[in-house]
Amino acid sequence: MKSWPFSLLTRIFYCLCFFLFIALGLLAVQDLLTKYLPKSGEAGIWKKEGKLQHFEGEALYEYIDGGAEIYHEYGFKQVVVQDYVTHTGKSVSVEIFEMTDSESAFGMYTIKTHKAGREVSLGADAQLADYYLNFWKGNILVTLTGFDETLETRDGLLVLAKGIDSKLDLKGKRPRIVSHLPEESSISQSVKYFKGILGLRNSHPFFALNIWGFEEGVKADYSGDYSVFLLRFKDCEQSFSQYEQLKKSYAEHSEYKVHRTSNIEIFTALDNRERRFFVSVHGASLFLVLGDIHPPQAFEIFQRIREAIGD
Amino acid sequence: MDQKIGRREFFKKSARIGFSTALGFGFASLSEGKVSLQGGENVDICVATGSDYLASTIKAVECLGGMKKFVPKDAKVAILPNSQSRHPGTFTKPEVVQAVIEMCKKAGAKEVNCLTLLKRENWEASGLAAAVDEAGATMKFVESEEANFKSVPVAGWKAIKEVMIMKEFYNNDVFIDMPITKDHAGNKFTGTQKNLMGLNFRANNRLFHRQDWQTNPESIQYLDQCIVDLNKVIKPTLCVVDATEFITTNGPFGPGELAKPQKVVAGMDRVVIDAYCTTLWGMRGEDIYMIKLGSEQGLGEIDLAKVKIKEIKA
Repeated sequence: MKSWPFSLLTRIFYCLCFFLFIALGLLAVQDLLTKYLPKSGEAGIWKKEGKLQHFEGEALYEYIDGGAEIYHEYGFKQVVVQDYVTHTGKSVSVEIFEMTDSESAFGMYTIKTHKAGREVSLGADAQLADYYLNFWKGNILVTLTGFDETLETRDGLLVLAKGIDSKLDLKGKRPRIVSHLPEESSISQSVKYFKGILGLRNSHPFFALNIWGFEEGVKADYSGDYSVFLLRFKDCEQSFSQYEQLKKSYAEHSEYKVHRTSNIEIFTALDNRERRFFVSVHGASLFLVLGDIHPPQAFEIFQRIREAIGD
Repeated sequence: MDQKIGRREFFKKSARIGFSTALGFGFASLSEGKVSLQGGENVDICVATGSDYLASTIKAVECLGGMKKFVPKDAKVAILPNSQSRHPGTFTKPEVVQAVIEMCKKAGAKEVNCLTLLKRENWEASGLAAAVDEAGATMKFVESEEANFKSVPVAGWKAIKEVMIMKEFYNNDVFIDMPITKDHAGNKFTGTQKNLMGLNFRANNRLFHRQDWQTNPESIQYLDQCIVDLNKVIKPTLCVVDATEFITTNGPFGPGELAKPQKVVAGMDRVVIDAYCTTLWGMRGEDIYMIKLGSEQGLGEIDLAKVKIKEIKA
């Protein structure tokens, strides 16, 4: 019998090891998230139903066809999706997203939540809305979706979320920039944290065409019907360039009237719906106040943000 | 008894009452997006409001003169509902789809085909597969393989020279665009125009997204322009839009905040319809770049003050 050449056997061996390594690696990556899922019996009447789904990196486009870009803008790694059902026919879908860092998880959390939701005590921040619940902890974002607004489904959202939260031994903090916004009169849960154009544009359609290149940003709404935006750029050169660009865009836009102020670092604009826009540049940051607000109040907000940022 | 007319005769009749043939596709569309009703009244869109979504859909189409105005006897009808996700407020309601299929069949349609690039599971999860089956239409699942698509040059293109439309689409005589209006993370809004990406080859849709979209604001505008270019190739015979319950945040996949205006909007002018739908969640057509471009490039009217909108209770 002809013996196999040593080099061929070696190659086959190395190939097998390589594929085994990849397979084990994939299982390990997926396991990082599946270990957070409540097992049947751990969440009362809610039991796992159907196959677990797992999407990593660019494969997110297969799961969220047409809506994956914003996750990538914030920094997406992988997601697992598992359905849970009750014997009464209720159903909840659980999605556990691993984001690149806690800022990314917090950012997507702010995009996925809204002012009308009810704050609940879970994770770092959690919100229960009519038929879904979001929370984040460390670099993990969890979204649970029910398919109706009944009490049973909403109870299920809480039971399953608590089960996941108890398994997440992670810590994470809100991005520092969030603390630079004034707290007084701010509307609870209105904060949005941006890492790119899509998040910002979702918050106000005009901006994306005129502001870009910022490293991070934050927005909050205030009682009195106005919003405050703070965007941080790499350096002063970029922030001043964007400030000038924004002033030019408003001036050229037929819907806005620009008013310059005595301070070259501040301009104001009025749109054809009588909404006021106040824009200021300071160091590497741009501040914007939009809405129903008088100039002295807007300038006071600018001053407070400057003090919070320091130099 | 219903009077039977052939397709040729239908088009002759259509021409007499103001129809025009759209882009050589062979189905009828109404000139300038307006519908002439009996008594000489012109209507651009009809909006039916009510909690019974099946009844609202029927009322909205009846208000335009009924489905027979759009679907000739023995026609093959393609419908394009949105079934992107199973989360509430993200997919066209089964009742809206069922009503349209039933009206098409009643009008004498030979076939109603529900076109999709998505998998059966998407349609089962949203309940739409059952609704389509029950109403007697056929699901046409088109695999994402290049051979299943036809390259179509875009006349008057500004961003994309050619698109790749599914061949199955061209086996039909009439096209009914049936999106749900909702939030979209990329465009802020999705409706009649963006829904047509559901007929285009995925690889071609990917070209709408430039590689540098995260750093170059012009790339966001480019996506909007590509959608408008795609709409220059396909003109729906009719649009029936689900604006009953839809997400206004975290679109297009959800879950997100639900608005519940309980409206079904029907008409032919995509720009008017989309502009109207933006007002249901506190915006204006001008706020959405895609709608503005569509208006500037002749797809329809953005100024709601210039059109006739008929609102009815269902």
